[in-house]
Formats: sequence, structure tokens, C-alpha cells
Amino acid sequence: MTSASRAGTKGVEVGGGAGANGTSGSGAGEGGGGGSAGGPAGVVLPPLPPLHAPPSLRRRVANATAWGLCALALALVIAPAVWVVGGVLARAIPHWHWSVLTTDGAQVSKTLPAGGLEGAILGTLVIMAGVTVLAGTVGILSGIHLAEHTKPKRGALMRGASEVLAGIPSIVLGYVGYLALVVGLHWGFSLGAALIVLSVLVVPYMARTTESALRQVPTSYREGAEALGMPSSYALRRIVLRSALPGIMTGILVSLAIAIGETAPLLYTANYNDALPGLALTHQGVPYLTYAVWTFYNLPSSASVELSYDAALLLIVLVLILIIVARVIVSLTQRNAETNTGR
Amino acid sequence: MSTDPGTPPPGFLLADGPPAGLGSSRRRFGLGERGLRGLAASAAVVPLIALAAVLGVLIYKALPAMRYNGLGFFTRLAWSEGNTYGGISHAGGVTHPVGATYGGLSLVLGTLMSSAIALVIAVPLSVGAALAIVEKLPTRLSRSLGFFLELLAGIPSVVFGLWGVITFGPILSRDVTPFIARVLPNVPVLSWFKGNVGAGEGLLTSGIVLAIMVVPIIAATTRDLLRQVPVLPKEGARALGMSDWEVTRRVSLRWVGAGIIGASVLGLARALGETMAVAMVSGAILGTIPTNIYATFTTIAATIVSQLDSALTDSTGLAVSTLAEAALVIMVITLLANIGARVLVRRVSTAGLPVGRGI
Amino acid sequence: MSKPQPRTRSHVRGFSTMRAKVLAPVALASVAALALAACGTKTPSSTGTTAGGTGTTVAQTSGGSITLTEAGSSLLYPLFQIWAPAYHTEHPNVTISPAAGGSGLGISDAIAGTVNIGASDAYLSPGNVSKDPDLENIPLAISAQMVNYNLPGVTKHLNLSGQVLSQIYQGKITTWNDPAIAAANPGVTLPPTKIVPLHRSDGSGDSFIFTTYLSDADPSGWGAKYHYNTNFTGPPISGALAENGNGGMVTGCAATPGCVAYIGISYLSKTNSAGLGEAKLKNAAGNYLLPNASTIVAEASGFAPKTPPNETISLIYGPAPQGYPIINYEYAIVSTRQPSPPTASAVKALLSWASNPADGSAPSFLNQVGFQPLPTSVVALSTAQINKIA
Repeated sequence: MTSASRAGTKGVEVGGGAGANGTSGSGAGEGGGGGSAGGPAGVVLPPLPPLHAPPSLRRRVANATAWGLCALALALVIAPAVWVVGGVLARAIPHWHWSVLTTDGAQVSKTLPAGGLEGAILGTLVIMAGVTVLAGTVGILSGIHLAEHTKPKRGALMRGASEVLAGIPSIVLGYVGYLALVVGLHWGFSLGAALIVLSVLVVPYMARTTESALRQVPTSYREGAEALGMPSSYALRRIVLRSALPGIMTGILVSLAIAIGETAPLLYTANYNDALPGLALTHQGVPYLTYAVWTFYNLPSSASVELSYDAALLLIVLVLILIIVARVIVSLTQRNAETNTGR
Repeated sequence: MSTDPGTPPPGFLLADGPPAGLGSSRRRFGLGERGLRGLAASAAVVPLIALAAVLGVLIYKALPAMRYNGLGFFTRLAWSEGNTYGGISHAGGVTHPVGATYGGLSLVLGTLMSSAIALVIAVPLSVGAALAIVEKLPTRLSRSLGFFLELLAGIPSVVFGLWGVITFGPILSRDVTPFIARVLPNVPVLSWFKGNVGAGEGLLTSGIVLAIMVVPIIAATTRDLLRQVPVLPKEGARALGMSDWEVTRRVSLRWVGAGIIGASVLGLARALGETMAVAMVSGAILGTIPTNIYATFTTIAATIVSQLDSALTDSTGLAVSTLAEAALVIMVITLLANIGARVLVRRVSTAGLPVGRGI
Repeated sequence: MSKPQPRTRSHVRGFSTMRAKVLAPVALASVAALALAACGTKTPSSTGTTAGGTGTTVAQTSGGSITLTEAGSSLLYPLFQIWAPAYHTEHPNVTISPAAGGSGLGISDAIAGTVNIGASDAYLSPGNVSKDPDLENIPLAISAQMVNYNLPGVTKHLNLSGQVLSQIYQGKITTWNDPAIAAANPGVTLPPTKIVPLHRSDGSGDSFIFTTYLSDADPSGWGAKYHYNTNFTGPPISGALAENGNGGMVTGCAATPGCVAYIGISYLSKTNSAGLGEAKLKNAAGNYLLPNASTIVAEASGFAPKTPPNETISLIYGPAPQGYPIINYEYAIVSTRQPSPPTASAVKALLSWASNPADGSAPSFLNQVGFQPLPTSVVALSTAQINKIA
């Protein structure tokens, strides 16, 4: 991969020069002249004949236009991320009180007439922890099974089921969770129902990242272990899993980013609760940040609307932390891989 | 991303289980080891079980609605719970409030239209951005731009909804769309852009917000596919005197074409099922067919979230059952899109498509 | 596979595994720290909840302290938000945990027993009562509904009647200078702006009381054709808009010149700051009135003697000459059979407190959301219903 992208980078520089020349007529002329006249300075060499005729103006214009459009597309892809984050910041920062973090929804005060978000923050963290435990266990085990143990045909079936499950809209999962768990099993609005629905949502992702992390472990590791006479199960635990760990961790972090951003599957399973979240698995609603965004922007008091933006800001910060940590893990391990090959 | 289930390097120890010749190591499995293997095996069937459970619950709950609504569900426009405060009657074994009529046509149309708009916007942007990232930018810069894609994929959909309904929609309908509606000529396709531009909630706003949400999936997948294009054919093409763009168009894009289609279908599946952002910026209006691109509408997913509250007051349970039917419909639609996308991509690439939201 | 594969044995214990060793605990620790932060703070002491479910009991009790859960109407939610801490101060062993979600959710949650108190702007339907005869709808306070519009240049409160609104929402009156509107507003210059009727896209008690007003004021038109329901029942008309929640109605109307919308009185300060006009509505006696304390109380007093013991009644289009025609009881939907005696007495105490004009229905609470207290005779009816809870 590294060699390919390096070659690509070189190509870019060459192409970039041609593109720049193509945009301005005079530049193109100079470039052309430079090729023939600029050659003989000190050493007398016969001028090299051009390998091929320079591209026609029409083709150069087409080239520049196409890449210009690509650059525009890139800008249009990046702009919304900046706009959305900036928009939330602009609305949340001017009225930001740090006490939002330490005040629950039921503690109304002069500075926070609609209460704070402590409950929602803790609820989101409880949900994160629960999803890590539940979906993490199931997802990682199933990833190990798919990568190490299963027969190809059965593996394809399970992988297919997993991919199909990941494609189900989250509201459908939430609706089923409401019908089956909240009402059907009489759990009420509860942490248990929320965790199961969210776990179903992210298990496919965790299984997939675990599986690919395991498959990326170089065969030499297994061969080495085998040569040392280690049983394959021991090798799996001691060597393969350990070197796949960064990939698995990244998968967990990204799954958590997905899980905490979900609203639809939680609305009718976790519902809400203005107080701090408990750890009861049933019969107690759980507050969480996305609910605050979704509900508070519609409430009459402007303090509630401000809380909605505070919650949006906190969500973005949480997602950013998860993504950055995941990227740090990836880049550290990639750098290792590069130093290793260099040696 | 270069995860390739099928082709590990040709070592003698393959990824699938212990090698045949090493019976000795298999004999050494302890009880704990066997337990762990069993646990892993049972974890691996969890998605299968969950899938079956979801389908089972939905079909069971939707049965009364399917009997009551019949196939007319897909051709009727009106959506009314009937007089839930009035009489209750029975039809074909289903108890229902007098006057209950459920037509899903506007939901299905709204779902397809908004997702189509999203794709029309997102596919060119994603492919263009992926090309710029892979072919033109230095590795370091492209890596940090990847961060923006991940951020886009990670921003919760309610936050997009909030931004769409409070910030973006009003700007669009105040400063942009009135101008478009005024200057465009009233000829067939373009007349779709004329008329009442509304208040910023509607098809166009939803389409754009959805496009922003599916760009990360399509762009990231396209980027990874483009990176897999071998260097040799590209260098060959360049040696033939092709310009950079011609190399890209004739070699790279052709190489990954089907993959891009697959990625787009995957993005489509996400757009079809997206709920919260659409519920916030669509206007969520039932029973109408949009007359222009600014009109309010609703989708299946948004209807489930905005109508469940009211459906719960229907003591006969028909409204809840009908929402289960709607959930079944959107599930089948997205499943077909997902499977189609994966089949398309498997044919051209060993990489497969990302699971989840493309982070 | 362009990724280089290290294939020598030395890499088995190479740098990358070392790094993984270092990183994994860091990442795990961060997740664990988050979990600890979530579990380790003041959860049990401040809310009085205990870990572990208590079977079918909704309220969590431990050491005499009780948490009562409430969910439903988004009009009552802000009131419960200010009630909860005040009540907790007076009754330290009781914690109220409110949530929004909508009136329909309030009713169905009370039926399913997932909350102690469901909140609803609409009363129970006969179907719901026959399904669960233990359910009661107990009024706690009185709310009203505004009809707002966005007509730049029109500064006077417009006079609107139920018949005119019915025509507007059926798409039969389409411009603001329609003769029917002009006739009710002598001396006002009405612009020829197109009318954009807004309705709620989500199920809502607001749609319920608004469509009840249209049905009562225009019995042969709206009343004969369209029902009243928490789900807006009118015909789809071209150019109409639907909005999510009262907040959506305010912002949607503010962005749409020519709009007309029905919005809960709690949002008065929002509609004012958004520059929306507020209509004077025609009551059954033919007077055009604004919703304010005196007109709401007048309408409520007119209905007080008519309120049946189960308190299921629409307070719409009543006979009081100075009464505003769209007001409603804000109901607590409660089952008379509570899971345990302590829960039952806690629910009873809370509901009595809430409906008492000296306690929860004091102006200091109700003024914040624009509600009015129940008339004395209705408080008595509510108390009788509350006493059935066991």
C-alpha cells in the first residue's frame, strides 16, 4: 500500500505541473520552450526527441477542468463537516456554563433554568460502557470465530447475516425493541432494552473489524509460533490476538461513536429520565444526550433550546475523542509496521 | 481496508482453523479452550438470531395490518387512524376504529424521492473527492482529510437534523431557492424546481442533508477501491501519452466502476433508512405527493418515529400494527439494496463493503 | 495486497506487539474510566434508586424513598420539570423523574404500566377505557391554545372564527383578503397573501383540541367530514405544511409569511419573539377573545359544573360569553391499581399537591407555562378520583 501511494504521489506532482501550465496559455508556451531550448547549457548533447507529442489544448483544458471539479467536490464534501460543527459551536459557546456538566435535569437554577445535562452525560457513558461489555464480547468472539474457526461456507452465511443486520434502519430495530422488550417482556423503558437494541446495531461492525484485524496479522507470526511448537489456540491468544488488538480497539471505539450518536433506537427503548441514570436493567428510563437534542429544541423555554445545543456540542466532542483516539491507535501501529519493514 | 477473507498469503497455515496435519495440537485443547471455541461459535450466530427475531416480531405484529390494509397499502394515499374516540368495528377478523384508512404510497414515494435526490448529489461529490484525495493530494494531507470524512460519518443524525432545521433549511429557503425558482424556465424537468419554495423543510433540504450523511460511505469506499488500482496499468497509460485525467477516467474509474455503483447502492440503503434527520427536516407530512422539489413530504422511517406516539392511542392496536407493516416494508427495501450492493462489489473487488456507517 | 508483510521471526516479539501491549491497556483504561465515572458518582444517594430491577414495580423504593416516573405530553413536561425539584425539596423521600414523548406515549405508558403517571393533553378514548377500566384521567391544570399567523404589516389581533379556520384547513379559503376574513375584521387592511395552514406532523394533544374546536364550531362542515384525533385529521391541501412539535410550529410559521398555526399557550413568549400575530377567536357567544387568565378562567368556570365525575370532557367552544373557546384540561393518566401501597400513596400525594392551587398549581409554577389552576369544584372531582388510587 505504501509503495503504491508513494508512486501515486509522484504522479501527482508531474500531473500537477502539467495542469498548472495548461490553465495559463503563456505558461504552457514557456514550458514548451524550456524543453527544447533550455537543455544545452554547458555540456553539448543532442536535444532529445519528445517521446510523444504534447497533449492538445483541448485535452489539457479537459484535464484541468476535471481536476478542478474534483477539487470543488472535495471542498463541498468537507464544507458541511465544518459548517455543522461550526454552527453548533456558534450556538452553544455564547451561553455555555460549565455547570451544565454537573447539574442534572431536575436541578433548576438561575443560571440553568432548564436544568443541566449531567444525567444525560452519565446515561450516555453508562450506555457506552454497557455496549462495550455486551456488544464487545459478542462482536469480538464472533469475529474470532469467523476469522479462525469457521468453515468457509458457514462463515459466509454468518458474515452475510451480519452484513444484512447492519443494513437494517436503526428505527426498525428500535421499534422491534419497543414491541418485544419494553412491552412484550414488560421490561418497561430501560437500560436493558436500550443496550440490547444498540448492541444488535453495532455487533456486526465489531465482528467485522475484529475479523479483519485478525486476518491482517502476518502469517509469519502464526508460522513462527507453530515452528516453536505452540498449540494454535495458545498462539491465537498470545500472539495473533495481541497483534490484532489495535485493530480490534479501533473497531470498538468506532462502534461506540456509532452507538452514542443513535437516537431512533433509543427513543422508545430507553425513553428518558430527568434524574441521574441508575444501573437497574429494567423499569427505569435512561437519559442520554441525543434525546436532549431531539426533544429540547422543541420546548418552549429558550433555556431548553440552549441545552439542546449544549448536548449537540457534547456529542460532537465525544465522537471527536473516539475518532481521534482510534486514529492515534491506527497511526501508531502503522508507523510500527513501516519501521519494521524498513529494518 | 485491504481485508481479504479469501486470499491469505500462501503459507502452510491457513486462516481457517488449524491445519489438517497438526492433530497433535488439536488434542491439546483443554476444556477451557473448547469452551471458548463454543462461546465464539455461539457469538457468531447472534446476528443470525437477531435477524430472525427482528423479522419474526415484525411479521407477527404486522399481520393484522396486512390483513386490514391489503395490497391497497401501496396504492392508497390517505393515512388516517380513523375516529379513535368513536366506534370500533370489525372487518375480516381485524378490530379497527371506524374510518381507519392507511395508505403508504406517500411514504414509499417520499422515501424513494429523497434518497434519489441524495444520491444524485452525493455520488459525483464523493467520487470527485475520492479522486482528488487519492490521485492528487500528498499522503499526509489525504490522511488528514480522511478525518473529515470520519467526522461526517460520526456526527449524530439528530445533530444534522438540528443543523438542517434551524440553520441550513431557513438559509436555503430564504436566500437560495427563491432565486432558483424565479430564474429557471418553466419547461418539463426544470418546472420541478419552480413554485412555492416553502419554509426550508422539504425534499430538497432532506435530500441535501441525506447527501451529506451518505457521502462518507461512498467517498471512503471509493477512496479505498481507488487505492487498490494497480500502478502498472496506470503507468502504462501515462506512457501512452494520456493526461492524468485520461488515465483516471480510462483506467482507474473503469477498474473500480462496479465498486462505485455498489458503494452508491450502500449509501442509498443508508439514505432510505435514515430516520431522525429526515423526521426533522422533511416536514413529515402524510398523505401528499410532492408537487415540486421544495415540497414537504415524509418517509417510512420518519413516519414510524413521528406517528408512533399517536398510534399508541389507538386502543385496537391497528395503528401500531400498521407501523410494524411500514417497518417491514423499509426493512425489505434496505435489505435488497444492501445485498445488491454487496453482490456488485464482490464481483470486482476482494475488499467487500464496509459494515456500519462508513467510519 | 500491497501491504508489506513482515515475515521474519524476530517480528513475533517486534515493536508493534510491544506497542500494542502499551496501547491496549490505555484504551481499555479509558473505557473503564468512563464506565467508572458513570457508575461512581452520586447516583444512588441523590435519586434514591437502587441497582437491580424490582420485578413488576415501576417505582424504585429503597429505605422509604421513592422515584415516580412520568412521561407524555410535551406541554406538561416543562411543568413537571419545575415541579420535580420543588416537590423533592418539600418531600425529600420522593423523586419525580419526568420525560416528554407526547400525549399518546403518556396514555399507552400508563396502560402498559411502564410509568407511574402518564401525561396527556387529550382524555382517554372509550376504547382505551374499556381496554383498561382501571385507568383514570385526572386534570391537573388548564391549558389553552393560541391560533397564530405570520402577516407582516398586520399589527392588530385578527378576528378568526372556527368556521373560517375550518374553511382554511379544508383549503376552501386560500388568501388572507378573503371576504369571510375581511368581514370579521373591519378596518384592517388585509394583504392578498396566500394562506399556508400549518398542522402538527407528530401525534399531539394540540391537534386533538384544535380539530375538536373545528368540529364543534363547524359541525356540518368539519365535524361531519373529519374526526378529531391526536393525529391531524384534515384533508391534504396544496401548500399546507406540517411541523414537528410546538417548537417546530413556531419556527415554521416564523419562516412562512401567510402561515396560520395552532400553538400551545406555553409558547407565548416564543411566538411573540418570533413576531407572530395572535388571533382573537370567536366563541359560541359570538365574542372574539384572546387567551389570557380571565378568558381562560371564564371558559373553565363555564365547564366546571358540566364536568362529569370521570372528568372526561372537552373544554371547547363553551357557553361562557367571556370565555376563550380552546382550552383543555392537562391530564395525568393513572391506573387506580398501583404496584405497591407506598407507590400508591406517593402518587396520590403528588397528584393532590399538583392540582392544589396553593401548592403545585400556585401562580409561581403555572405562570411559567401559561397554565391556569382548576376551578374549585373540579379540584374536588380530581381529589375524588385521586382517592380511588390504591
